[in-house]
Amino acid sequence: MEFGTSGSLSEDGIHIDMDRLKKGEVNLGTSIMAVAFKDGVILGADSRTTTGAYIANRVTDKLTRVHDTIWCCRSGSAADTQAVADIVQYQLGLFAMMNGKPPTTQTAAAIFQEICYSNKDRLSAGLIIAGWDERHGGQVYAIPLGGSLHKQPYSIGGSGSTYIYGFCDSNWKENMEEAEAVDFVKEALKEAIKWDGSSGGVIRMVVLTAKGADRHLYLPDTDYKVRHT
Amino acid sequence: MFPELSPGPQLLPGPRRSPKADTGALATHQTSIGTGYDLANSIFSPDGRNFQVEYAVKAVENGGTSIGIRCKDGVVLAVEKVITSKLLKQSANKRIATVDRHLGVVYSGMVPDGRHFVDRSRDEARAWRDTFKTPIPTADLASRMGGYMQAYTLYQSVRPFGITAIVGGFDSELEAPVDGEVGNGPSVGAGGKNPDKKYGGPFLYMIEPSGLYWGYYGAATGKGRQAAKAELEKLDLAGTGALTLEEAVKEAARIIYVAHDDSKDKEFELEMSWISGAGGPTKGKHQEVPKALREEAERLAKKSLQDDDDEDEEKKEDDKMEE
Amino acid sequence: MPGFDFSNYNRNAALHARGVPLPKATSTGTTIVGCIFEGGVVIAADTRATSGPIVADKNCEKLHYISPNIWCAGAGTAADTEFTTALISSQLELHSLSTGRKPRVVTCMTLLKQHLFRYQGHIGAYLVVAGVDSTGVHLFTVHAHGSTDKLPYVTMGSGSLAAMSVFETQWKAQMTQDEAVKLCSEAILAGIFNDLGSGSNVDVAVITPDKTTLKRNYIKPNERTQKLKSYKFARGTTAVLNEKIIRKEDLGNFVSVQEIHVAEPGDKMEVDV
Repeated sequence: MEFGTSGSLSEDGIHIDMDRLKKGEVNLGTSIMAVAFKDGVILGADSRTTTGAYIANRVTDKLTRVHDTIWCCRSGSAADTQAVADIVQYQLGLFAMMNGKPPTTQTAAAIFQEICYSNKDRLSAGLIIAGWDERHGGQVYAIPLGGSLHKQPYSIGGSGSTYIYGFCDSNWKENMEEAEAVDFVKEALKEAIKWDGSSGGVIRMVVLTAKGADRHLYLPDTDYKVRHT
Repeated sequence: MFPELSPGPQLLPGPRRSPKADTGALATHQTSIGTGYDLANSIFSPDGRNFQVEYAVKAVENGGTSIGIRCKDGVVLAVEKVITSKLLKQSANKRIATVDRHLGVVYSGMVPDGRHFVDRSRDEARAWRDTFKTPIPTADLASRMGGYMQAYTLYQSVRPFGITAIVGGFDSELEAPVDGEVGNGPSVGAGGKNPDKKYGGPFLYMIEPSGLYWGYYGAATGKGRQAAKAELEKLDLAGTGALTLEEAVKEAARIIYVAHDDSKDKEFELEMSWISGAGGPTKGKHQEVPKALREEAERLAKKSLQDDDDEDEEKKEDDKMEE
Repeated sequence: MPGFDFSNYNRNAALHARGVPLPKATSTGTTIVGCIFEGGVVIAADTRATSGPIVADKNCEKLHYISPNIWCAGAGTAADTEFTTALISSQLELHSLSTGRKPRVVTCMTLLKQHLFRYQGHIGAYLVVAGVDSTGVHLFTVHAHGSTDKLPYVTMGSGSLAAMSVFETQWKAQMTQDEAVKLCSEAILAGIFNDLGSGSNVDVAVITPDKTTLKRNYIKPNERTQKLKSYKFARGTTAVLNEKIIRKEDLGNFVSVQEIHVAEPGDKMEVDV
């Protein structure tokens, strides 16, 4: 039996058309990435949010704080990823209060994974979790669609990432300096935005180190050259 | 409300009626029988005591001695297992339980209560792993179980635990992965961490029937706790020249033997477990002390006792000679 | 159990598979916008409600009250926007009463997104949430699936593209209240004239720390004018073929008539003493 993409009734029951169910949903057709470097970790993302062919938000912030120095990059359904991030932010806040110490990136990744895996048939969320903590330093975890958990030196995700696998593979280096890592993320996202129709707008970054979270913003007006915040 | 709680009016809390109480015996410690305040949980006596909890402590004080030693590279747990019947199989019927890979529990007092404590500890350790995908730190297990035991001092429908439990654990000093993760970070390791700071290590906690718990270098409970504590205090556990794990095993065996009163107590069997770090003999796991090491420790313990006795006798002889 | 019953979904899918078109929900083709200015926020909406190709209401209200300092503009399924905003308004008022504080816009936005996310998009409410609270001026959009955005100017509904084109060409930072009202109403007019789903009048609400002003029918660009000619039919246009008169006394021959005794005039209600 072929499983078609439209609603149909056959001997073996009704097949639900997932495309129709999710019609009109706001999607983060996206380019996101996170890179571990010498002093911590950097997250980066474009800023395009789409509903079908329409750009619902051209300056979206896809880098979401779940704790002071643990953040995530969101791709997939905006509603799903926001809901998951909100839950994790709550859990980590509670964890910090109950234990009197900040959670580790591992803890955050574990909570994210539990939600993504146990609701895998209800969610379309592709997440990259990156964080810095005193014990483990800067770490990057990827949680793709099925809810598996991957520890990586760097991670790329979203529709735009397909265009930068080669770039990242040949340009990534271990133990980069901060400025070097910022440049790597920026150049990679510039390529992703250039080739992917669903990615665009500004480039946002967050640098997580012992000093805390530092935000970057680069605008296309200046060809992403000038840092605005 | 009160009349329903007490079996008869003569047991009602209120003006003291027994002649004994009138003599002032009640004002001192111990005697409280007949006042009614000792009949139910969750009722304070006028001087702010919970007698049910105090009776639970009595149950503990009758149990075989348990001790725990935290030294610089691990934790040792030991218990004096009183042999209640010659028909019991040797070295079966274990009293020290493993709660998680890195956690052990020993207790003195009512054994069935201890079994339930262990069951609950395992549930807590498992629940922590389910949510955080990482082993529960010893301190967190102690906190959870302290809270659990305290809850049993609050309600009419239950009684306090008749045990004092000693929880020993070794929190991994390595970077623990998230259970189920795949892949690695950069081969040079994560950047931006403080290289001087050390994490994890051996931990020891003791939880009393009231739910009260503290962290210890050396902990002792049960029948022989006084003698055991006196011995533990002689060890250099907090200092830098601290005991090694193997020395601690031998000390633990000796202390259990010292605490045992041959003249009063029945025969006993020594049960011991230990936990080292990843680089030590148990590789971070809570395990029974190997038979050979335990027997060696027992031999040394007996020898040490013998020497002490000889010394005493010598002294006596000296005394005599002086006479 | 409270909530929605989705059991008709399978029936509809089965009927659809046999060629029956799926029933269409009533949705309001709409233009709604919002824009922050120095010291406050403006939201605006058109006033057309549609039911398929029919204009169901020429002058409906799409600006919904949440609390005195928070208002919502709604697009999507009319009933869903109406009831969702009413429900959250109620919850916020109770929350405000129990905390003794004025409600915050983020609280409203969070309640809305969590409610809508729970219903996985089946509640078709697309909202612009605007307000002023102790933390400042806020403007959000909330989509039916539960996603939210925070922006200085926003548009939603079928006319959002037309309205956005106005914002993207004319918006500037640090506008005055009058400039913001003008910009928002022009964005709505763009929707009214260029989007089939939007029409009729412009409603505007201005929220500042001091007060909220609802400008109902702020602009009426589609006033109905007097017809140039009369299209009444002249008496006698339709020919009378025959005539039959039945007198009141004979009515009983055709229908049964029963007299009903009315005790007292008026409609007094019985009350226990």
